[in-house]
Amino acid sequence: MAISMDNKTIEFLKRTFREFYYKNSSKINAPIRMNEREFGYMSFDKVMIRHLSFQTEGELRAFLVKEVPHSVYYSCAYYHEPTLSMDEKGWKGADLIFDIDADSIPTNCKEEHDKWVCKDCNFMGKGKRPENCPKCGSMRIDEENWACSLCLDATKNEAIKLIDFLLEDFGISKDKIKVHFSGSRGYHVTVEESSLEGLDQLARNEISDYISGMGFSLESLGIAKGASYDDMRRSLPSINEPGWRGRIASFFTKLEFEGYDETNKDIRDKILYAYGKMGYKGFEDFTKEIVNKLSANIDVMVTTDIHRIFRLPNTLHGNTGMLKKKCDDLISFSPLIDAVVLSNEPVKLFVDKAPKFALKGNSFGPYNSEKVILPLFASVYLVGKGLAKVIDSD
Amino acid sequence: MKIEFGLEDLAKYPFLKEAGDYVKGLSLSIEDLRQDDYQPALKRAKERVIEAIQKNFISIEILEPNLEILSFPLALMLVKAIGIDYFMHRYSLAESLRAERLLEKEKKSIISNIFKSAFNVNLISTEHDVFDFKMSMIDYLIRATHFHKPEWKLINRIVEKGFVYVKTHELVRLMREEIRRIVYERMKSLSLPKIPENIKEIVDEISKALPPVPSKELQEVTPGMFPPCVMHVLDLLQKGQNVPHYGRFLLTSYFLGIGKSVDEVINIYPKAPDFSERLTRYQVEHIAGMRGGRRRYKVPSCRTLITHGLCFKDEILCDRIKNPLQFGRKPVNFKKKN
Repeated sequence: MAISMDNKTIEFLKRTFREFYYKNSSKINAPIRMNEREFGYMSFDKVMIRHLSFQTEGELRAFLVKEVPHSVYYSCAYYHEPTLSMDEKGWKGADLIFDIDADSIPTNCKEEHDKWVCKDCNFMGKGKRPENCPKCGSMRIDEENWACSLCLDATKNEAIKLIDFLLEDFGISKDKIKVHFSGSRGYHVTVEESSLEGLDQLARNEISDYISGMGFSLESLGIAKGASYDDMRRSLPSINEPGWRGRIASFFTKLEFEGYDETNKDIRDKILYAYGKMGYKGFEDFTKEIVNKLSANIDVMVTTDIHRIFRLPNTLHGNTGMLKKKCDDLISFSPLIDAVVLSNEPVKLFVDKAPKFALKGNSFGPYNSEKVILPLFASVYLVGKGLAKVIDSD
Repeated sequence: MKIEFGLEDLAKYPFLKEAGDYVKGLSLSIEDLRQDDYQPALKRAKERVIEAIQKNFISIEILEPNLEILSFPLALMLVKAIGIDYFMHRYSLAESLRAERLLEKEKKSIISNIFKSAFNVNLISTEHDVFDFKMSMIDYLIRATHFHKPEWKLINRIVEKGFVYVKTHELVRLMREEIRRIVYERMKSLSLPKIPENIKEIVDEISKALPPVPSKELQEVTPGMFPPCVMHVLDLLQKGQNVPHYGRFLLTSYFLGIGKSVDEVINIYPKAPDFSERLTRYQVEHIAGMRGGRRRYKVPSCRTLITHGLCFKDEILCDRIKNPLQFGRKPVNFKKKN
């Protein structure tokens, strides 16, 4: 589906990125405890270099202008010796980081803008890619996913739920939580300088299971097979309870059950009524659905990886030309406008195939094997995704 | 603030550093142990060791606090003098189980003091109907991730503003491993003085009463040959430690998965005192699909092992694998190492 990038196109991207870093050098800030972190980058030739370290902000800024990377990364982890091999670095701790990606959040619009094609038999379809090609069974499938504003809104909602868990359940203070748009299809939520820094992979797995609603047991709600209704009523949560129990109880206040008279009754009676109607299995499935709704759809593998590297804030995403940008007010943040930082300068492109898309408040496309002139930010967006190549940009 | 314990408390919990300070204050020398005055303490120490290693049990009755406190370091010395690591582990486990039984019945204020003194854990007493204390989420997670039952999962706890609510018996269970480790480390770091004859005799008597050490077959396993999760379970078996049920399942399904026969898999399990060949064979055959539902169980995925707290991922060797069976089969990505 993607068209291969020719030298002219690569040069165009490098020139654009270099100019951006040169002009915006002062906006590139060192992450806290920079010299304890590992840095890495991917070049436009798609070569990954890791185990780098920077001592000063100036050094980092100069590097960006000189190397012009496709993507720049820094580790969530703090090391004694960040430049040594993984075994020898000496892990000291790591920020707690969550990644919420539009790809893993089901939205109806995906059927319209996402495509996949089998690399072996060229069979293609719309929406989420199947595990195997339905025609030839191959697992080699190319995807073309878009994160439209609906997808990104859905992603933002997950981030809002996540932040509520961090504040209310984990007691993390607001000033330690930073939210960034990733520059492509999601959000990174980072907890820095907290006492959680030393937690290992297993503990982080528990945290991510908590937030993503994995492994919730009915017993913890107070429902047990074979227990009497009186006993269960005593163990069920009230709406004021903290944690998952309280969240579920509060959710029940919004539900309506046929034949149930709400007047003067405790939420526990309502839960028991639902349980009585559905039976154990039915109620278990029902609770699973509730947990699913209330949980935040985070990538659990990201949170549990204590050596992972993440895109550096205020740098460009090589696949979109958008910025990894801090969201000071997540509610009003509009990624397809606020993170678009490249200029309007016109660029002549050949676009292979692109659906209709919106950026910086303008609507573009759809395009089908045609030559077009687009503003720089939209050009880099298509070129970065491998859907277009540059004809003329000077 | 200095924490105060009574003699009775120190006798119950002799692993506390305050108990150690008390014994130090007595300024005893090894030679003093020949004296008749100390024979009751030595007798109690011997009892502690034999009970612990044979039955995984140490009685909780305290006849005389002084004697009980003193018998603990003496018991450590006796076990150390036997010189077999396996028994040091067994002894430590029995001491931790003894402490656990006592803590279950303990006053809340004393529990708080013990947790502060021994583990530097701050407990906040609560008036909750069900839960006795709350503790910081970090203190909870560091310990609870070693448990595999659903009720220990963070999601199944009441978590509020960074604190987790716990019942006394849960709290005590959480700390068992830590007490075991404190006792083990104390023993490990003990440097034995030249032991007087009367104590040598006791050591000999104890040695005769001990069960056999489990088979050495396991020690032939080369590190790096198997994935770290499997190595971890093998290591626990080797040390005669408790292996969680899921760990046994991993080990059995893994070795069957790489083509070992049922008999070979049974032989991997050491002939520990509680080893039952019949039961082990039944379980292994069940997993192999030769019994019950005739379904051969698959090796659990890395993701599942993370959830069960059994993943000990090696950054390089485990890179890109999703199941322990893929370990060593996928080319190792050394580029990452550069």
